[in-house]
Amino acid sequence: MSRYTAWRGHAWLALPLRLYLGGVFLLACSHKILHPSSFALDVATYQLLPLELINLQALVLPWVELLTGLMLVLAFRTRAAALLINAMMVMFIVALVWALLQGLDMGCGCFASEGGDDPISWRTIVRDSIWLAMGLYIQIFDRRPLGLDRLFMRRNDA
Amino acid sequence: MRGLEKATLRDAGIVVVLSVLAALSFNTLRGAGSIPLVAREAYRILVPCPEPVGEVELILASEVRWGGARELVLDARLVQERRVWATDQALHVPFDFLEPVSDETLAELVASNAARVVVFGDGLVPDSGHELARELAGRGMVNVFSVEGGWPAVRAALEPGNGELQP
Repeated sequence: MSRYTAWRGHAWLALPLRLYLGGVFLLACSHKILHPSSFALDVATYQLLPLELINLQALVLPWVELLTGLMLVLAFRTRAAALLINAMMVMFIVALVWALLQGLDMGCGCFASEGGDDPISWRTIVRDSIWLAMGLYIQIFDRRPLGLDRLFMRRNDA
Repeated sequence: MRGLEKATLRDAGIVVVLSVLAALSFNTLRGAGSIPLVAREAYRILVPCPEPVGEVELILASEVRWGGARELVLDARLVQERRVWATDQALHVPFDFLEPVSDETLAELVASNAARVVVFGDGLVPDSGHELARELAGRGMVNVFSVEGGWPAVRAALEPGNGELQP
């Protein structure tokens, strides 16, 4: 472990990021889990996935968001949660760039089926990029996160 | 691969598997509101792409030069809307919010050599006539006007005895 990643302050810096990012994902998943058909329509609107995969993605993705959001908040298997969140963020950013380059005038579908209330824009991409940066920081530097992971580490050390 | 990375990938894989199981179980158990794993038919998505639209002026139905040699009057209403009332002094070019006017139709309109194109529609908000006029203007036609009040105003102008109807 390099001396940059070994610094103890990372856990404290990462704590608010973890709570924020975890909260964002918990907030994002609830509507999608309860209304899979409207989320499937949101996924279809991006015109990226083949028809066969749209419903599967609409069903599974919100549960990944729920579990990773919870894991991040509780600091349980934090690096795995951050890895998945970063993968999702990359996927979202690619989809958004694709939609913008296609000139699609549509809602983001990030938190609910908002239609035109939250239209996609380059600002959405900047926002997602910031979240990706947060996720990367957690994944790379938060080696002893404050939460369940640290508790288990202490037990194992003892 | 180091142990930490291996463990991270393993944990991530477990989360994905658990998510799939939870998603499928929840979808099966919820009954109403569940969706099939594979969509049976394509989603009817409506993504408005930016269409070029121009600005057009409104004119009164009384200002239309009916029968004028270089005046082209267009009726933008749908076929079923024209069953109520229609005039043979207007060319029927139905306006569709989803489908732009075909290139063939546009070429015909341009070929008419009209000095002025006047469009009337259903008179609703938004007025199909005004929308068609904007579309034509956006696609390069000049001197395009839309009739304020739509077909009821046109009818009142052509048949003064009937008075103006509500659309």
